Amino acid sequence: MSLFLQSLLDGLIAGSIYALFAVGLTLIYGTLHFINFAHGELIMAGAYFAYLFMMPPLHLSPFISGGCAIVGVVCLALLMDRSVFSPLRNANSLLLLIASLGISLFFQNLAQVIWGAEIRTFPFPLERGISLGPVVITPVQAWILIIAAGAIFLLYLFLKFTRAGKAIRSVSDNPRLAKTFGVETERVIRFVWIVAASLAAVGGVLYAADTNLEPHMGTINLVRAFAAVLLGGVGNVWGALIGGIVIGLSENLGVLILPIGYKDAIAFCVIILLLLFRPEGILGVRWGVR
Amino acid sequence: MKKIIVFVAIVVSAVLFLAQAGMSSGTIKIGAVQPLSGNLAVYGQGFKMAIDLAVDEINANGGIKGKKLEVIYEDGKGTAKDSVAAVRKLIDVDKVPVILGPAASTNFLAVAPICERAHVVLIGAESASPAITKAGDYIFRVFPSDKLQGKGVADLVIKLGYKKVPVLYINNDWGKGLKDEFVKNFTKKGGKILSEIPYDQGKTDYRAQLLKIKQLHPKAAVALVYVKDGAVIFKQAYELGIQTQWITGSAAKSGKLIKLAGKAVEGLIGTYPNFSTTSPQYKHFVALWKKKYGDKKIGIFAEYNYDMVHLVAKAIAKGGTTPDGIRKALYEVSKGYKGVTGDKTFDANGDVGSAYGVWMVKDGKIVTRK
Repeated sequence: MSLFLQSLLDGLIAGSIYALFAVGLTLIYGTLHFINFAHGELIMAGAYFAYLFMMPPLHLSPFISGGCAIVGVVCLALLMDRSVFSPLRNANSLLLLIASLGISLFFQNLAQVIWGAEIRTFPFPLERGISLGPVVITPVQAWILIIAAGAIFLLYLFLKFTRAGKAIRSVSDNPRLAKTFGVETERVIRFVWIVAASLAAVGGVLYAADTNLEPHMGTINLVRAFAAVLLGGVGNVWGALIGGIVIGLSENLGVLILPIGYKDAIAFCVIILLLLFRPEGILGVRWGVR
Repeated sequence: MKKIIVFVAIVVSAVLFLAQAGMSSGTIKIGAVQPLSGNLAVYGQGFKMAIDLAVDEINANGGIKGKKLEVIYEDGKGTAKDSVAAVRKLIDVDKVPVILGPAASTNFLAVAPICERAHVVLIGAESASPAITKAGDYIFRVFPSDKLQGKGVADLVIKLGYKKVPVLYINNDWGKGLKDEFVKNFTKKGGKILSEIPYDQGKTDYRAQLLKIKQLHPKAAVALVYVKDGAVIFKQAYELGIQTQWITGSAAKSGKLIKLAGKAVEGLIGTYPNFSTTSPQYKHFVALWKKKYGDKKIGIFAEYNYDMVHLVAKAIAKGGTTPDGIRKALYEVSKGYKGVTGDKTFDANGDVGSAYGVWMVKDGKIVTRK
C-alpha cells in the first residue's frame, strides 16, 4: 500500500512538471501549427541556466537562479523564432518540424560541448525526506508541487483574463477570424513563445531539482510532453495539462506492474496507442478552453 | 595510354616509398581507445595518465630495441558506438598491431570481435565482464574477471552475516556478468536473493528501483554500480529514507563518489581487486607517478594500465611488431611476471587472477577494512 501511495505522490510530482512542458508544446502547436522538437532543449536550457547561476562564481539562491533561467530561456526561444521559425512562417509544417529537429540537435550538442555529457546536480544540501505516514517527500519535492501549481494558476489567470491571453486563445482557435478582428498575429506568436519558454524553463528547473541534469534530458521529456499533448487533444491547453499529470502517474504507477526498465517506454506506448485509436485525444474538445 | 601508366606507376611508387618511410621511422605505434570525453571521462583521463607514465618510462630506458613507443589515442567517448569507430580507425588507418582497449565491458566487448576478425591484439586494463574470457584469441586483459569479484562480493555479504539481500545492478554486460556470478555464489553459500533489479546507465532518476528495495526492508542491499550512477542512486536512497547496509564492488571505489554523494555513502562497504601496496613494484610505481604528476591522486585502475603497457612493450620486444608475434609473446612474457598489481600470468583465455580486499567509506574517506 505504501508503495502505491509513494508512487502516486511521485507520479503527481512528475506529472505536474510534465504538464508545464505539455502546455508550452501545445500552445506552440495551436498558434504555429507544428510540433516543436526543440521544446525539449528549452527545458534542458532552463535547467542548465539555473545551474549556471547557482554554481560559483555567481552562487545565487535557487529562486533567483530560477528567475534568471526563465529570462534566459525566453531570450533563447525568441532568438530561435526570429532566426529560424520566423523566416519559415508560411512554410508547411513538415519543414518547420524538420527545422525544429535541427535546432534540437544543435542545442543538445552545444550543451554537451559546454557542460560535458556527465550528470550534474544542483548544489542542494542532501536531506532525508519527510515521512508523512507511509510516504516520503523531500523538501525540494514539496517546493516543486507548490511552484508547479502556482505556475499553472498564473497561466490560467493569464489566458483567462489578460488581453494577450485572450488574443492567444483567439488565434489558436481561428487565426483568420482573429486577424479580421484586428489581432496582430506576430505579436501573439511572440507572446506564445514567451509563455511556452517560461513554462519550459520552470519545468526544466523543477525537473532538474527533482532528479539531475544531463544534456539529453530534453528528449525524453519532449516525448512525455508529446504524449500528454496527444492525450489532451492537440492544441488543447487544459487537455495537455491533465495529459501531463496522467503521463506522470501512469509512468510511476506502471512500474508497479511492469519491469522497471520500461518506465520510459510508457510515454511511447501512450503515443502509439493514441495515434492508432484516438488521434483526436481522450479528452476531446469538450473540455477544451481553447 | 602509356603516359597514364607511367603516371600511375610514379604515384604508386611514391606512395609506397612514403609508406615505407613512415614504417621505418624510429617509433613503434600502438593504439589506445579510452573514454576521454563523455560519461566515463572521469576514468579515461586517469587511464591515459597511467599509460603515458609507462610509455615515458619505457622510452626513457631506451625504448623497445632502440625504437620509441608511441600511443595513438582515440576517444571512445564511453559508448560502444564511438569505441567501435575509434578501433576501426586505428586498425584501418593507423594499422596498429595492438590496441589498448576501451573501458567498460560493454565497449570492450563491442570492439573485441572487430579486433579478433582483423587479427589485431586487444588488451584491456579495466574490463571485468566474465564474457570477455571467451571473446577470442587476440583478446587479453590484465584486470581480473568478475567471476572472481562476483565471488568476492558474495563472500563479503556472507561474512558480514547477511543472508537475504536484493541486488541492484547496472543493465550492461559488466553489471549482468557480475550480478550472475554474485547470485550464483551467494545462493550456493545459502544466501537468498530477495529481488534482482536492473537499472540503465546515465538516467537521472532511480527512485522506482529504490522504492522496490525499500519495500523489501532488507538489512543489507547489494548495488553493483559505477561512480556516477552510484552517486545518484545512493543520494536518492538517502532521501527516500532507505536504511540498509549498502554493499558494492570496486567500480564505485573513488573519491569522486564521496564528493558527489556526500553523507549518503557513509558506511558503504565494497570489495576490490587487491594487490600488495608494499611490494617494490608498487613503491617504484608510486615514486614514478609522484615524479611525473606531483600530488595528483593516482587514478582508479592506473596500476593495471601501467602493468598493461609494460607487458605489451615486453611482448613487442620479444615477438616483433606483428599482431601474431605479439599475441604469442604475451603468453611467454607474462609467465611469472610480477607487476604492480601482482602476478600477471595469462591463462589460456588471456585472463589473470587476483586477490580481493574490502573497502568502506568512513568519515567521508575511503578506507581499507580488515
